[in-house]
Amino acid sequence: MYSADTLYNQGNAYARAGKPGLAVLSYKRAALLAPNDPDINSNLEYVSATARVPTEAQFAYLVNPTAAAWLGVIGIILLGGSLLAGKATRHYRGLRVTAKLLGIGCIALTLSNAAVLWPRMHEAVILTNQTPARVSPVPMGDTAFVLREAETVTMAAEHEDYVLIRTRNGRTGWVARASLGTVVP
Amino acid sequence: MRIPLTHWSKLWVICLTLLAPITHTHAADLSLAYETIEPPSIRMGESAVIRITSMDGYLDNVPLPSVTGLKFEWIGRQQGFEFVSGKPIPSSYVLIKVTPEFAGVFTIPGLTPKSRTLGLEVVAAETSNPLAWRNYKSSAPPPPPPPKVTSLPKGAELKAGGAAFVRLVIPTRDIYVGESVPVDIEVGLRPGIVTSLNGLPTLSGGDFTLNNLSRQPERRDEDYGGNQFLLMTWHSVLAAVKPGDFSLSVEAPMSVKVNTLSAEDISIAARMGAPFLQSLYSAIKPKEMTVTSPTSELKVLPLPTEGRPNDFSGAVGNFQVTSDIAPTHPAAGDPLTLRLHVSGTGNFDRVDSPMFSQLEHWKTYPPKSVFKKSDAVGYKGEKVFEQPLITAKSGQQTIPGLAFSYFNPTTRRYERAQTQPIQVSIGATLANSSPGSLDAATLRRGLRPDHDPSSRSVSALEPLYFQPTFLAVPATLALLLAGGWFVVRPSPARVNARVNARVLAQLEAAAKSGDSVSFFELAHQTLLRTGAAGEDIERLSALADEAKYSRYEPGNTDFPHWLAVIRARLKEI
Repeated sequence: MYSADTLYNQGNAYARAGKPGLAVLSYKRAALLAPNDPDINSNLEYVSATARVPTEAQFAYLVNPTAAAWLGVIGIILLGGSLLAGKATRHYRGLRVTAKLLGIGCIALTLSNAAVLWPRMHEAVILTNQTPARVSPVPMGDTAFVLREAETVTMAAEHEDYVLIRTRNGRTGWVARASLGTVVP
Repeated sequence: MRIPLTHWSKLWVICLTLLAPITHTHAADLSLAYETIEPPSIRMGESAVIRITSMDGYLDNVPLPSVTGLKFEWIGRQQGFEFVSGKPIPSSYVLIKVTPEFAGVFTIPGLTPKSRTLGLEVVAAETSNPLAWRNYKSSAPPPPPPPKVTSLPKGAELKAGGAAFVRLVIPTRDIYVGESVPVDIEVGLRPGIVTSLNGLPTLSGGDFTLNNLSRQPERRDEDYGGNQFLLMTWHSVLAAVKPGDFSLSVEAPMSVKVNTLSAEDISIAARMGAPFLQSLYSAIKPKEMTVTSPTSELKVLPLPTEGRPNDFSGAVGNFQVTSDIAPTHPAAGDPLTLRLHVSGTGNFDRVDSPMFSQLEHWKTYPPKSVFKKSDAVGYKGEKVFEQPLITAKSGQQTIPGLAFSYFNPTTRRYERAQTQPIQVSIGATLANSSPGSLDAATLRRGLRPDHDPSSRSVSALEPLYFQPTFLAVPATLALLLAGGWFVVRPSPARVNARVNARVLAQLEAAAKSGDSVSFFELAHQTLLRTGAAGEDIERLSALADEAKYSRYEPGNTDFPHWLAVIRARLKEI
């Protein structure tokens, strides 16, 4: 079971223990549940800056993802219901148009929320300092570049114990699975 | 003595040469003359001769050239004949002696308008003539004795008239099947006589493999029996593929300058006494030939079957093994690289991977190997096997020693080399207990305080709309609504009433505007749609056609009547 507060507190504990990688990972998980929580975003930004890894722009979400999901359901009901009503009767035209617009708005809100959060489903945080990103998914592969602890990367593919990652500046390399933690486990 | 017919033509040339001064004495035009130099390559202390040939009479006023490093002297004039298209043409010659003052390559400007620039190569002083060797025919007098070979390498024999030798240097001991032994192939060439080597030396016989014969051999100049030789040495590795007694030799293709004159020609040329006549008989040409080394005996023994280890991969030689691992203090989950170093001498291509296929508490990966040779042919060197290992278990762990079996031809038995076990200290994973990589105090300073754990718990971190169980809700709703779309359909009576009202409105509008064409067309179609038949349809059709083709007169129309007919019909249905 996950809760935003528990994950946030866990992140604080890791940060106090001097483990920025695990702290950033916990904050990012907490931010999935409470994206507009100012404490989570502040500590995430602070730990990232202290670990000298690039910080990402924080989105101000209109609603949290759970609410957005239910709004989407309501939007489908409103849109579908108004369309059905229009087919059944020619009365209450104003009400039907209003319901139709509200339904479209709710669905659009849900889709935009999902589009913003979708990349985070494939994010991972580097947990060990000076993690080598190799050119091939084997331990003896040449090192293409080195990653800092707490750096956030995007996972593109997996091969046995290695994950193909892409950094924010577009570089790609294979990292040992044990050296990173996925934001969505 | 019977003179062969082939020499009659040459006797004619001699006779005509003696009579030539009587026939022509007028001055010749220099523009019709040409010149040659023989030989084009000489050594210091020797001289070459420039011959200016004129077929247009007596040559006069030929200037001596001036070239730094060359001394030119008049030899004299001669008369003779040149053969052009089989016809003898009286010619005169001017002979100039050229003596070099130092070695080098000289360019002599043309002495006549048509002649080209002449080239003369002068090499360092040498007692013998570079073109001294001649290829005498079997009927010829015995060839001159070959150069002294007292200082030639052991086992080498001069071939190609003393111009070259090939030598194979192999071990004197018996060897084993599969064993790699270093061999040297030496090819000695006399520069100037051997013009080129036309390929790499090859081993005769197919029961051996000769590896790593480089294209660039070692080169050095050697003096054998007073003659300068260019000695080229290839280092290689020989391996036998089957047991037995073998005779080995090496052959090398090359081009050698030979004089193709017969003994009679040479003796006639010698009697001439004049260089230009001798030059008539000069026939030095390059000839391709293959020079073979003397055979060397080699005994190849089979590998003994007794005591052969199960893991023997065919390695024959003398090897030593060591191993190491890196990094020395890894954390659990970190990849480690176990290396086995096999060094020594032997057939490294048969040194196979003796690494771990499986190891308790470790995940093993396929090893790869790299060979670093210490000599030019790969007989000495070091083969390094690298195997990645990963363990998830922390604490002190022992990696067993690695073993490697090979056959030692020196001791004539199989031997087994083994490395010592390696102790590895595996640290805990970072997530559990590794020290932080940043100063905790620094991190602690700017953190916001903890929250009271009051927020609702969820079973998954993914937002609801990415969870398949939740996605079933909107999917079901969408299906229900789509089904409702087909269920909730307007009644046919309502649809017909709506259509009839629209048609009547259109008819009324057409009647009002006097548009008889549209009115009767629509009225006709409406009656047809309602299934009406009989007079009304026929008449309406006729009226519609009339209105369409001849502009129905508005005054004669009876729109109200027809509207009433259609209303009644629509009401009926």
